[in-house]
Order: sequence, then structure tokens, then C-alpha cells
Amino acid sequence: MSQSETVIEIRNLSKVYRDFWGRPKVRALNALSLDIKKGEVFGLLGPNGSGKTTTLKLLLGLLFPTEGEVKILGKSAADVSKNERIGYLPEESYLYRFLNAYETLDFYGRLFDMTAAQRKERSEKLLDLVKLAPQSRRRQLKEYSKGMTRRIGVAQALINDPDLVMLDEPTSGLDPLGNRDMKDLILDLKAQGKTVLMCSHLLADVQDVCDRIAILYGGELKVMGRVDELLKAQDETQIRSSKLSEAAEKEIQEVLQRHGATNVKVDQPTASLEDLFLKTVQESRERPGHRNVTDNQSVS
Amino acid sequence: MYFDPNEYLLNPIISVLNWVVVVGCLTFVVLFVSMVNLIATRGASGVGVFFDELGGMVTDLFQLSPRRIWALTRLTYTEAIRRKALAVFVVFGLLFMFAGWFMGDTKEIKPDQVKVYISFVLTTISWLTLPVVLILCCFGIPEDIRLRSIHTVVTKPARRVEIVLGRMIGIWLIGCLVLAVMAIVGHFWIVRQIPAESQSLLTCRVPVYGTRIDFVDREGNAAKSGVNVGDIWVFRSYIEGATKARAQWTFRNVGESLLDSDGNLNFENSFSAFRSYKGDMTRPLFYDIRLINPEKNLAYTTDPQPVNEFRHKLDTIPRKVTIDGTQYDILKDFVTDRKELHVEVSCIDREQYIGMARSDLFIRMPDRQFWMGYWKAILGIALTLLLITMIGVSASTMVKGPIAAVLTFVIYFLSLKDNHQFMDQLVFGQVQGGGFLESVYRLVMHMGPSQELPANPAFVVVKFFDWVLNNFLWLCRHVIPYSQYFNMPEFVSNGFDVPWDTSILPSLLVTSAFIIPCVLMGYFALRIRELESK
Amino acid sequence: MTNMTSQQRKLVYLIGIVVLLIPIIWLSLPSDGKDAPGGVLSQLRSKYELGEADLGDVDASSAAMNFALLGMRGMAVNVLWKDLDQQKDTKRWAEMQATTESIVRLQPHFERVWDFNGWNLAYNTSAEWDAVPDRYYWVKQGAKFLKRGVERNKRSTELYYRTGKVVQHKIGYADEATDYRKFFLSDPDPAFKGGPDPVINPDGKDNFLVAREWFEAGCARELVRAQHILDRSLFRSTPARCLFDYAQALQKEGKFGEETRAAWDHARKDWTEVYGHETFHALIGPEESDIMLEMTDEEIKQQAGTPDDALRVRRAVDAYQKMTNYRYWRTRAFAEAEPEMAEAHRRLFDAKQAYKAQEFENARTAAYEGMEGFDKILKRPEYASLTDEDVLCEECLLGWKIWDDIYQVSGDKIPEEFPLKWLVQMKNENQMIMLNVNKQFKRLFLETK
Repeated sequence: MSQSETVIEIRNLSKVYRDFWGRPKVRALNALSLDIKKGEVFGLLGPNGSGKTTTLKLLLGLLFPTEGEVKILGKSAADVSKNERIGYLPEESYLYRFLNAYETLDFYGRLFDMTAAQRKERSEKLLDLVKLAPQSRRRQLKEYSKGMTRRIGVAQALINDPDLVMLDEPTSGLDPLGNRDMKDLILDLKAQGKTVLMCSHLLADVQDVCDRIAILYGGELKVMGRVDELLKAQDETQIRSSKLSEAAEKEIQEVLQRHGATNVKVDQPTASLEDLFLKTVQESRERPGHRNVTDNQSVS
Repeated sequence: MYFDPNEYLLNPIISVLNWVVVVGCLTFVVLFVSMVNLIATRGASGVGVFFDELGGMVTDLFQLSPRRIWALTRLTYTEAIRRKALAVFVVFGLLFMFAGWFMGDTKEIKPDQVKVYISFVLTTISWLTLPVVLILCCFGIPEDIRLRSIHTVVTKPARRVEIVLGRMIGIWLIGCLVLAVMAIVGHFWIVRQIPAESQSLLTCRVPVYGTRIDFVDREGNAAKSGVNVGDIWVFRSYIEGATKARAQWTFRNVGESLLDSDGNLNFENSFSAFRSYKGDMTRPLFYDIRLINPEKNLAYTTDPQPVNEFRHKLDTIPRKVTIDGTQYDILKDFVTDRKELHVEVSCIDREQYIGMARSDLFIRMPDRQFWMGYWKAILGIALTLLLITMIGVSASTMVKGPIAAVLTFVIYFLSLKDNHQFMDQLVFGQVQGGGFLESVYRLVMHMGPSQELPANPAFVVVKFFDWVLNNFLWLCRHVIPYSQYFNMPEFVSNGFDVPWDTSILPSLLVTSAFIIPCVLMGYFALRIRELESK
Repeated sequence: MTNMTSQQRKLVYLIGIVVLLIPIIWLSLPSDGKDAPGGVLSQLRSKYELGEADLGDVDASSAAMNFALLGMRGMAVNVLWKDLDQQKDTKRWAEMQATTESIVRLQPHFERVWDFNGWNLAYNTSAEWDAVPDRYYWVKQGAKFLKRGVERNKRSTELYYRTGKVVQHKIGYADEATDYRKFFLSDPDPAFKGGPDPVINPDGKDNFLVAREWFEAGCARELVRAQHILDRSLFRSTPARCLFDYAQALQKEGKFGEETRAAWDHARKDWTEVYGHETFHALIGPEESDIMLEMTDEEIKQQAGTPDDALRVRRAVDAYQKMTNYRYWRTRAFAEAEPEMAEAHRRLFDAKQAYKAQEFENARTAAYEGMEGFDKILKRPEYASLTDEDVLCEECLLGWKIWDDIYQVSGDKIPEEFPLKWLVQMKNENQMIMLNVNKQFKRLFLETK
């Protein structure tokens, strides 16, 4: 994977929001550098206000960087032609509420200069894909529930069969079933060889689908690496088994102690990404500036 | 009838040069300000960004896609319709239901009243379509930014200039739709309001005006004008009866095409009578018309004709006229080699006066249908709407909706005839009482406009500021369009056809002059700004 | 304030709004018929009869327009007045009239607005037009406009007067009065098929008699609501004066029969028996006293307690009579009842007609006979005061002017002595009269065929 093509290249990217008089107000992003490879599902994690969405918007050219630069699909963020191969799902689906589902997809299809036949075919396919009930496709979006809006939002992001999909909080507002559908969709996109960049604060989502993650806090990169590697604690060994008898457990403990193991605990495993996340946030508060980046290739 | 169809002939070279200078200056100012802004926010790298952006802008312009523009146009259009912009028809309907309130008597229709009807319809239509377009164009993009729906558009291959263009076209189309519906209703309303026997008052006269008018005073010497009889309105000047005083018109390019189907030359006038003593009030004042050919020393005088004040008076001169037993042909014998026809009018009654202006005597060509003029007037409104749309949309890319709306409205308001003329007077120092600060001082101190300011060095500063403001006003005056070019409704309500050369063409030119700067400005503003509402 | 949460702040605002609303609601509570008098505003409204319906006919459009403009009426009206002025300057009459309509819809109960615009139409606009029927059309527009003003403002005393004034003065005394008076009975607009315009003359009466009805209505209103145009004694004389105008107009148009005599008789009765017995309050010394213009010494004695007071009352009556020209019209009315007077009028009229027809010899004879007739009457002591008033003197002097002119033109020697020589000498000093006479003579001269 490390040898494959780089889709997104972020170098030393900073963003300072200014007030009306041009005075710096908030440093939303501070010297972020990372690379995303083709075919990866990359997750940007962080609490609210950590700079995830800002990063996405900088990549898309919606915001202009204060410092640093961005290459996306080999082009600069300001270059509109890059958008031909990108699909973007905004944080909340900011769509035109007075259009219905067909009109929405038709409109975005036109923006890609697609012909009428292409648009029609693609719309039907996408609406089926995102499982939008046929009876609601002719209703204006303002009547949609949050879940439905999310679905049509995904459909518009995929209208051009993009190579790079950027999803901002893809599962927010979805019920468990919808959540499952969304994760399947992302895995499906990965299977098709697309690159996916998503940001989320819902850890379970990320853990399930992402190859690599980065955790941002206060606009700074805190943790980055492969999900499985990050969660593998280097100085711990976990033993899993089916439920054992008390005698068996005791015997095992004795064996372990004989081999010099300390702090032996025998219990059920927990959701460890959450631990990692909380730990990172906690550490960041205690030790600002600290970084734990296992994935060396991304930092030049 | 009583309006002055000024010659707004544009000089093509000067106009284009003027346009280039104004647009050039504006472009320079805009570019300079944005570069300063970029340097201020991004430091030295701002210069690079500035030139990158400039390059990107130019490339974008060559990658416009009609399909994308049309998609955005349709979006704008659908948005307007679904957001109930057409509710304006309710107001329109109400106004027309109760139009009689403003009109007075409908039983007795005089030519004057027809004018009031037509003005009412055209004014109502323009004042109803105007706010619709103003609101749509000024709030569309800011709302799109506020709701962030624009994010889903700019992250597609849509160029920002396409967004600007799509908005402009979409809003203009909806404006035109509203306009067309109202115009059709208005047309039927006018025709219905005017009783069958008065339908002939709905005219669309095609006048050919003299290119110049000269006056001769009572002693027979050339004069700048006739006599002023004390009217506040100096539009007409008066000639004295039974003296050598007369007015001379020169018509150019006189040929067969100006004659009616019977081969007669029709002169229409709207002279005004002024009596220095009342005399026999039952007897009107009389004038006569003389065709003269100075080259051949020929003159043909009509019989005395009564002045029919405040109405159209038609005098028909046959093509073949007889002078002292010899027959002459008007076109052959009276039109000079330079294709000019000289016409003189004098007053017959002693010590009485007849008032005339250049537009008071014209050759009346065969009339056109009323609807032709009417729809040309509607075209004038449509062009005004286009102008407002362009200004409004480009303003809305820079500032928030309400501010853009106020800005656009103020520009429109200043473009109106009286206001624009007042601006001219201010710029050229024809207004008494000094500039802004000075007049404020005079107002507060209860000083008359002609009173000397006290000798105080502070007034040097005041005058300097006023001078600066005045120069800013000079700039505004050149940028703000002059709506008098769009005065088609005025022609129609006065019963005239809308002339191509003095009304339609200039308004088309003015409108097109705004297309490029407005589109570019909107595009530029949308490009250099972050599309986040703050 | 800063320590409050947003909710607390909103609560404070809400309380503030409610507190401010209470007095407004209390002030403007509507009244529901008899039981509840309503708030202060509606009490005041009914006390001063300021409700829309009390003021005159309710015009829904006007109310709707004022409502639709919210608080912007003042601004709208300002713009309209500005437009009106410009339209007047640039002679856009129809537009001006339309603007006037809009203005009165916004200011329907502002009497000066009706007054000003009615005058503007009847006097200013009409004068701008050249043809007499056109002028008459605009005079009529002014009168109609004022009439509508009266209908919208039934409580206005002055608008009745203004309407009457246009009908009496503009139609009856303009330079084109002869034509206007004819048009008043037979409108030049073919739409009326030779009859009068029913809006201003529904019964087809003489303009002076129609004006009298307006003035009478005005006088009736005046008992309730004072006017500020004329002194009260003059204001109340307007209906009776119209009858004199009527009688004089008949004479001027060459009618000397029973109709004219009856008109003079009617005028005299109205003047002495109705107007003469109106009660006015005059200041007698430190106190007020009721006086009448027609008061015998006996009545004065009864009115006053002491002989001193009687003298003061006498003086007050004299002053009032002088102001209203009471004695002149009284004498004139009596004189006009004399057959010689009627004959003298007729002869002077004949002289004018003969002069117009260029029958100079007839004209000179008729003028001389007319002069003789007036000479006799005016020399009678009871009618001597008639020479104080201009109209009759002008008539006499015009007769002399014709007589004199024929002598001048024919080159005959003007006799040394002639009737009315004393009047000519007396009035020669009065430039105003001589100017009028010369003007009338010039017009007569221009009308010669």
C-alpha cells in the first residue's frame, strides 16, 4: 500500500480564522501534514472543533489556507477541475430543500456536464443504492427526515462515480440500520478501489471501516496510524478464549505468574478505540504538543 | 404630447472609449484592493496567490459549460417559483381590481386620460417586478452561502462564474415571466378600460423630428430663441404674431418614405397659445406653415390654421402644390440637394404669441399598432430588470443580502431621471450652497445659499472634503446608469412609437455595457471569498 | 444586564413591551355602542365627531390606502405634492388631476387640500387653456372636485363657501362669463346633449342661483362651525348677494322684462327681510349687544337701556352697514323697482348692441337717453348713494364712453352740457373705475362686426 499513488498530500497546513478587522481569532488548524493513498479509507477523528471539517473544506477549496499547501489528485485545492473526480458529502446535507430527489440528482448531474440519459440512469441507480424509498423520491427535500436527507446527500456525492469520496460525519443522524448501510457502502467503495476520506467523532464507525486514522485535537495532529497497529498495545498480551471454569482460570494465572507476568487480569475485552481516543484527548490536555505517530511514511 | 423626446444619440466612439476607461478604472480598483487584502491576510505569499487566482480566473472563463449554466439557471428559477415569488401576482391583481380609485372618471375619456391609463399600467408593472427581481437577486447567493448549499455546488466542477451567470439569467427569466404575464393583463386592461368609441386614442405615432430649430425675431434677425412669456417651464419659446418672428425647422433625409399612402406630407404639432390680451376668446389663434427652398427661392404657405392647444393637430400638405398657377412637387422642388426640408411657422394674430419647441412639430409617418409600442415599452422594463439583476447579483456576491438590496436600490434610485440630473448638477457645481459639509453647516447655522462663509481656515478643510466627496460623486455619476435611456414607457404613454436610434439602441448598449463588468466583478468576489457565512 | 441569561433578558423585554402596551390599549379601547364608551381616544373621537362616518361619506379606498401605507402617509403625500407641482409647471394636466386624486385619498379630511386643488383646477388650469369650452371644462372640474370635498367633509363650513364661490365668481364674473353662464345651462360637451352637466347643475338653474344654494348651505353650517374666510356679517350676506348678481346678470344680457323685475324684487326681499334681520354680536362699549342691519330707531331704543347705549348701537349698526355695503344694495333694489330705472338700463343696453352693429346714430341716441334716465334717478336724493358703488357707475360711464366715442370718431363737436357730466367728472379721479370702463369699451370695440 505504501507504494501506491498519493491521492491527497497535505503539507504544513494551517488555518487561522480572523475577525472582521483581520485580527486572528481562532487557530483552527496548525501545521497539519499527512498523505492519503489511493484505495485507502482514511478516518479523521477528533472532538468537536478539532479541525476535521476545516481540513476537509481546505481540501475542497471552500476555505483558503493561511499557510501550507494541499495537493489533491495532483491539483491545487483552488483548481475546480479536480472536482470532476471528487464526491463530497457535507456535514449536514446542505442541499436545495425545494427540489425533490430526482431534481436534486439531475441538477448535480448537469454540473458534471452529464447527458440527460446518463443522469437518468445514474440517478435511478444511486437512489436504489442509498435505499431511498421510491414513494419519497418525488417529494421536496424539505419534507425529508434526517436519515433520508443523509441518503440523498450520499447519492449526490456519488453522482459522478468519483475516485475520491470525502464524507463529513457520514453516519450522523442515521438509525442503526442506516448506520450499517452506510458502513457497507463505504466498504463497498473501498472494494471498488476508491479512496475515502471521512471524518467523524463516532469512533465505532471509524474503527469498523477505516484502514488508517488520524486524531486531531485543537487543530493539531495527535495520533496517526493503522487502526489495528494503534490498538495493539505493545506491552500487553491479551489472551482470549471461550468461557473457562474457575479452576482453569486459576491454573492459567499460576502459569503466567510463573513466567513473571504482573498485573494479571482476566476479564472481557472492551472497545479499545474509545480508550485510545479518550487517552489521546486526556494526554493532549495534560501534555500539549505531544504526538504519537506510528505511521512514519506520512511525515516528511 | 408635452414631453421632450430628447435626442439621446450616442456617439459610438466616445461611448466605447468612455466605457473602456470606466471599466478599466474599476477593474484596477477592484484588483488593487483585493491584492492589498490578500497581502494583509497572507503576507508575502499573498502576491503569489493573487496571480494564481488571476490565472485561474482566466482559465475558468474558457471552460464555461452551457449545460452547467443552464442547470444553475433552472435552479434559480425553480427556487424562485417554489419560494412563492409569484405571490406578487396577488398584489398585481389587487391593484388592478382597485385601479379605478386612482383614475378618476372613466366615463369621459380624453386623450390625456389615455396617457394616464398607459402610464398607470406601465408604472405599476415596473414597480411590481422591480422588488421581486431585487429581492431574488440580492438574497439568492447570500442565502445559498448562509445555508451552505453552495458548498455542494462549488465542490462540483461548476465554475463560480457559472454560478453568477446562472443566477443572473435565472432571475432575469423569472422577472421576464412575471413581466410578460403582467404585460398581457395590462394590455387587455387598457383596451377594456377605454370605450370602443375612444379606441382610436390608443395610438402609436411614428414621428420624424426636425434635426434643429432656429428662431427669427420680430425684426427678422436670427435669434437664439423666441420670447419667454413667463412660464416656469422654459421648454417652449414663443413667437409674436403678425411680425417677422418665426420658427424654422430643418428636416433631414426627406424622401418618399416620409409620405403617407396617399402621397401627402403630414405635419403634426402641439403648439401652445399665449394671449397678451384676451380679445375674442371664441376665436382661436392662428398660425401658418411655410415650406421653403432657399436654393430655388420657392415658398409654399398653407392656409391659416387654428392652434388646438394641448391636443394633436394634424396639417396635411399634398405632394403637388400650386403656387401662382404653377404646380410644384414637394419632394422634387422643396427638398434641397442635401435632402433637407425647411419649414417655417409663424403666428398670424397681432400681439398674440404661439409657443413651440423642437419636438412640437414633426412629420407624422403612418401609425403603427398600439401593441407594437406597448411591447417595446415592456422591453424597456425587461432591460431595466436585467440591469438591476446584474447589479444586484454582483453586489450580493460581496455583501449580505439586505445590504446588497439597499445598495442596488440606491443605484436604481439614483439612476432615475430627476435624481441623475440632480447628481449632474452637484457634480458640475450648479447647486447653490456648496457641497455636503458646507451645506450641512449652512443648514445648521440658518445661512442662505448665497451668503458668504465666514473667513475661517476651517472652511478650507471643509471645502477640501467637499471637493473629495464631489469627485467621488463624479465617479458614481459615471458608473450609475442613466435610466432615461430606458424611458420607453414614456414614449408609449405619450402615444408615440419607441424610436430605435434614440431609445432602444442606447438602452441595449447601456445594458450590454454592464454585462462584462458585473459578471466579472461577481465572479471575482465569489472567487476570492471563503464561502462560509460569518 | 450582562449577567442575565438570554432567557431572562427576553423576559425583561416582554415585561417592558406589556407595560408599554397597557396605556396604549387603555387609550385606544374601541367603544361598542352605547354601553361602553371605550378608551380615551374613542371618547374624544365621538365627542368631537372625528369618526370617519361623522366627517362625511366614507371612502373605503381612501381608508384602505392609508392603512396600506402604515405610517408612511406623510412621505407619500410629500412625494405626490412635489409631483403635482412639477406636473403643473410642465402643463401635464391629466397627470396633475390624477395626482390630485391620489392626494385627496391620502388626505381626505384636510380641507385646505380640497380648497387648494379645487382652486388650482378652476382658476389656474383653466386659464392655461386657450379655447373657451376647454377653459370651462377645467372650471367645472374644479367645482366638481370641491363638491366631492364637501361630500367627504360634511362638517366643513368653508368648503361649501368655496364651492359656491367657484360657481358664483368664476363662472359668473370671469372674462368669459357670458359663455360660461351659457355653458352652465347648456354644456358644450356633446355627452350632455345640450343640457347642463348634472353633477354641478342637476336642476338646470342659473349659476348664481346654484351658487346661492351652496352659500345657504354654508351659512347653515356656519351656525355650528365658524369659518375663517370672511367677517361673519359678510359671510352671511353671500346667499342674498347672489340674487343681486343674478338680477344684474339678467340686465347685462339684455333681459328687462318681468323676469328681471321679479329677480330684483326677490333680491330686495331677501336682503332686507332675511339678511337684514340676521342677528350679529357687536361690541357696544364694554359689552356685547345683538344687532341687526335692518333696525328701526324704536328697535334700537328697546335693545339699548340708556340713550347713550342707543347711540352706540346706532353707530355699530352703521359700521356693519358700511362694511356689508348694506345701504347701497338696499337703495339699489328699491331703485331698480322704478320703471325709469329699467328703461335707462334698456337704453344703455340698446346703445351697446347698436354700437356693435356699427349703427352709430342709433347708438348715440340710445346712449343719450339712457344717460338721461340715470341722470334723473341718481340726482334723486333717496338714490344719491348709488354713485358710491362701482358696478352701476361703470354701466353709466360705459354708456357715456360710447356716446363720447361716436362724437370723437365722427368729428362732431361734443356738446358742452350732457347728462351725467357730473358723474364723469367725479369718477375721472378714480383710476380703477376708468380702467375697467376702458377695458369694457375695448372689448366692445373688438366685437364690432
